[in-house]
Amino acid sequence: MRSAAFRSALGGWRLLTVAYFVFIFTVLLAPLVVVIGGSFSAPANDTVIVSYIQFPPERLTLQWYARIPASQLHALGVSFVLGLAVALAASLIGVPAALGLVRGRFRGKTLMSIILKAPLQIPHVVCGIAFLQLYYRFGDATNFYLQGTNLGLFLGHLFLATPFVIGSVSTVLLRFNPRLEEAAQALGASPWRTLWRVTLPVIAPGIFTGALYAFIVSFVDVPVAVFLASADTTTFPVELFHALEQDFNPSSLASASLAAGFAVLLVMAAQRLVGMETLLHSK
Amino acid sequence: MDRSESIRWGQLLALPLLVSGLLLLGSQFVFLKQSIYIDLPFGKIASDWSFANFRRIATDPFYLRTLWLTTWISAAVAGVCVILGFPIAKTLARLQSRWATLLLSLIVLTSFITTVIQIFGLLILFRGDGLINQMLMGLGLIQQPFTLIGTSAGVVLGLVYASFGFSVMLMYGIVRTIPVSLEEAAAIHGASRLRVFRKVLLPLCLPGLVVGFLTIFNTSMGAFTSAALLGGGRVITLPVLIQRTMLLDVKYGMAAALAALLLAFVVILNLASVMVLRRLRHAQGVMA
Repeated sequence: MRSAAFRSALGGWRLLTVAYFVFIFTVLLAPLVVVIGGSFSAPANDTVIVSYIQFPPERLTLQWYARIPASQLHALGVSFVLGLAVALAASLIGVPAALGLVRGRFRGKTLMSIILKAPLQIPHVVCGIAFLQLYYRFGDATNFYLQGTNLGLFLGHLFLATPFVIGSVSTVLLRFNPRLEEAAQALGASPWRTLWRVTLPVIAPGIFTGALYAFIVSFVDVPVAVFLASADTTTFPVELFHALEQDFNPSSLASASLAAGFAVLLVMAAQRLVGMETLLHSK
Repeated sequence: MDRSESIRWGQLLALPLLVSGLLLLGSQFVFLKQSIYIDLPFGKIASDWSFANFRRIATDPFYLRTLWLTTWISAAVAGVCVILGFPIAKTLARLQSRWATLLLSLIVLTSFITTVIQIFGLLILFRGDGLINQMLMGLGLIQQPFTLIGTSAGVVLGLVYASFGFSVMLMYGIVRTIPVSLEEAAAIHGASRLRVFRKVLLPLCLPGLVVGFLTIFNTSMGAFTSAALLGGGRVITLPVLIQRTMLLDVKYGMAAALAALLLAFVVILNLASVMVLRRLRHAQGVMA
């Protein structure tokens, strides 16, 4: 009797939980589904009325994919290469920084930690304006203008992204079992060889996670790139942002779906390579 | 161990500190300095410094109203994300099933997609003849189509979409650090689910939740996509105002001063919260 009541209470709780999950995930994914669904939707008649898109689609078409403006394709390419460059450079800076912060024993470490992690505290829009004004000033002094260049975007994003690598590598390093290194050195490996052959492979998931976050920071950013980009070197989010500000064009649905599809591939790759647990734990 | 043979870890910091330090000091110094010069026409600035920009911010109610609007919108976004996201994070952290991985991947996916795409979807859904309006009018809940554009509710919604996935990821990590055995022990001793949640899990997660709230609050204070696209020129938050002052009005000094205000506000609020949090933890420790 009591156990039946208990079970039905448990069942009620479970039902409530499932209902809540269905509600939240429907709401959360709805905009994405609409964008991707809309990108395959044919206009009601053959005269193309670009301001109108049918969702749910009545007829399927790939025509919007064929009509993605060259500027949007170019921006997708810029975002992709920029993200890779930022991920690589942020790792090259962030891994030694994390090693130094976690293992170094010296005065002034707190201050160094604050300097290295400061970008996390600065609102993104402030980063954007700060870098733009830095580039103006730097250009006035050296005649070498960085605003509107790929290098300028890269430095701005590197600034935002490096703390993420430092954070995730530090987390993994703090959980590192020092016996592994002691064993390697007892067997005659030099400290640098130990670092290269033992430490780095063990903390590799943390490095990968940090690099992935660095890529994403660059790949989704608007508030920094909107200041630093120009017509020629613009990232995809900024290009799409301007497209939405001006005119509604279904081809934007297609390019947005391409970016979303790429994000799906990234999540799958991350799940394969390090697993969700590491991805969420080493933040 | 021979000292010459061991790695001096501190030295590894030299290059990272050089790069990060230069980028940090360079960018922050230049704009903070710019903020104390008043603007002349055509993007020129005055040669003598003064606090005129800040005086204007402090005396013109428009700027303070903007700061207040940005603050409450950001607080609302952080509150919604933490309250709606925590049950999701908690359940996923305790769920031992393949569903957990799939649902987590979907959460991660939403944070890997730029907010612009999500807002694109929202704009389509909430259009006058869009799905939401059709549904609500079909159900007879509303007579006239309504719009999100130009309302602060719309801006909040857009920002929640921008931060929700991230907030669940953050809180998932927090719940995972708390041993499930504590909840089991309370349940074995007869505590109901709700009581276990209220008396065991929630107090243990609370410091983490406060940090999560602050992180999302910070992000929202500096975000500008949602307000720019859904604000429709009527809901002007500080980031949008900064962008307009800089790029449309070409008033570099004023834009820098507004950015300095935003930076100082966020940093001071964070420092204050860290101090309160530390005191809270200390008090908890004394009680235990």
